[in-house]
Amino acid sequence: MSESSRIARHPFTVAPPSPAVGRLARFSLDRYFLHATMLPTFVVMLCIFGLPLLFSFYLSFTGWSLTQELLGGSFVGLANYEDLLADPVFIGSLGITFGFTAAAVAAQLGLGLAIAMLLNLDLPYMRVFRTALVVPMMITPIVGALCWKLLLDPSHGVVNYLIGERIVWLGMPGTALAAVWLVNVWHSTPYVALILLAGLRSLPSEPREAAAIDGASRWQMFWHVTLPLLRPYLLVALLLRTIFEFRAFDNVYAMTGGGPADSTMVLSMYTYLTSFVQFDFSLGAAASWLMLAMSMLMCLFFIAVIRRRDAH
Amino acid sequence: MAVVIGSRRAKRLEAALAYLALIVLTVAFLFPLVWILGLSLKTRPQIFSDPPLFLWWPTLEHYVDVLGRADFVKAFINTLIVSSSAVLLSLCVGVPAAYAFARFPFRGRSFLFFTLLVMRMLPPIAVLVPMYVLFSKLGLTTTHLSVVLAYTTFSLPLVVWIMRGFFEDLPPEVEECAWIDGATRYTAFLRVVLPLARPGMVAASILCLQLAWNDFLFAAVLTNNATQTLPVLMAGFSGGDSGVDWGAMTASGMLVILPVIIFSFAAQRHLVAGLSSGAVKG
Repeated sequence: MSESSRIARHPFTVAPPSPAVGRLARFSLDRYFLHATMLPTFVVMLCIFGLPLLFSFYLSFTGWSLTQELLGGSFVGLANYEDLLADPVFIGSLGITFGFTAAAVAAQLGLGLAIAMLLNLDLPYMRVFRTALVVPMMITPIVGALCWKLLLDPSHGVVNYLIGERIVWLGMPGTALAAVWLVNVWHSTPYVALILLAGLRSLPSEPREAAAIDGASRWQMFWHVTLPLLRPYLLVALLLRTIFEFRAFDNVYAMTGGGPADSTMVLSMYTYLTSFVQFDFSLGAAASWLMLAMSMLMCLFFIAVIRRRDAH
Repeated sequence: MAVVIGSRRAKRLEAALAYLALIVLTVAFLFPLVWILGLSLKTRPQIFSDPPLFLWWPTLEHYVDVLGRADFVKAFINTLIVSSSAVLLSLCVGVPAAYAFARFPFRGRSFLFFTLLVMRMLPPIAVLVPMYVLFSKLGLTTTHLSVVLAYTTFSLPLVVWIMRGFFEDLPPEVEECAWIDGATRYTAFLRVVLPLARPGMVAASILCLQLAWNDFLFAAVLTNNATQTLPVLMAGFSGGDSGVDWGAMTASGMLVILPVIIFSFAAQRHLVAGLSSGAVKG
């Protein structure tokens, strides 16, 4: 049922004296009600989201320090953006963020799909496995990362004991990034698995039954029937995880702080250090606007996907 | 759905392989947590014993120690205050809006709605930079209020998303009946719709509470020693000159994640809808 028909089906209000007056009264009552319900959300959104973002847009074009008046910065044009693009650490962090996001999302989707397929099997005790496998995503991210730091400790960590070597995991550029990636995959794969499992459960059974009657093998069934049907869910999981991995911060902060040698310097970490360690808010604002622009694009794409699906 | 392929023996083999894969995965996913739980139950020398101990008599000394620390108790109370205030604020502001989103086709509806979605998805650090500056000019930094407002950036969209779905599933006849009985829109909403929407509000609160409880970034920037939350306190355990205090760290870590795990299992049915921002109904 469409929205308009739903509203049109509300003909009764407090007994109207005459049809015309009643319609008018109802109309204005609905307007007041609409304003009363929407206004608080609108105001809160404006105050904690709209205004700060506008202000940081302004900041990114000025040279401003915390001791100055709020709007007292001097206009410097694109200088902050030019500084960023001339900073090898920032350029490096762009590459690291995109590479990290791609690697993390790919692993989460692959592993998540495998787990979802397994959990969708019609076997006893599946609920137990489902419950056990979603635990990592419920853990406070910073606590998970700190725990992994202990597990990866070079001298007392259990990981080094199990593999029988003394690797300084978080002290070398290659292994540090891999360790942060591993923790991200560990933490977020259950999200993907749950989304895909919900997808698998909602798939119609007819296409699979038809394929079975036609003598499709397991592999053919998966590749030509299940996967295409699951595509909308895969797309949602892919986009959501990309958006969320793009802003990854907690794991990096807890495990490496962006080091060693800036090898785990993701964009969030770069912006954090610029703003809250070097206290260069103008540069931080410029960096955050570049991040915003990139994630806005991903969000718009996500929204376009949901709207198109809703339209069908 | 029953799609039968192959003989009984093949099916048995398949089930065995599936169980094997699931057991391996479960062990891999849970091992880190179980090991940390084990560490938190060891005495200091036992933690550092080489090779690691696999069997020992558990001790609660680190838990007693952590729960006796003034800063831990203070941080626990702070976390409780800011996360529950953020949830309450988001519910009061967001639930009526979600109802309007579900029932009125007003102008700008989809624009506002998707702005809310974007609000939830943009990188928090990008909002935090200007927010910190504005709050410090207003003298709000290091107060509970600043953290509560910051948390609203993710909890308000979540409340609106979940509650809109809930109101849409509620048949409009419910309100129509109330109107026939002489109720106005306000009273129908307050007396009839809201009580029916209580399960949805519970689910939304739990999901928001979980997000707020887990937040590190906002709290790390907007709090000081007096107002810090548990995740910020935890991060402090790992730095410092004295090195990592393994006992305090593992025990407090377990205490921090215990409530969230309980919350999450309580709201498990709504987890998928919540974490996919309503894109998938679980």
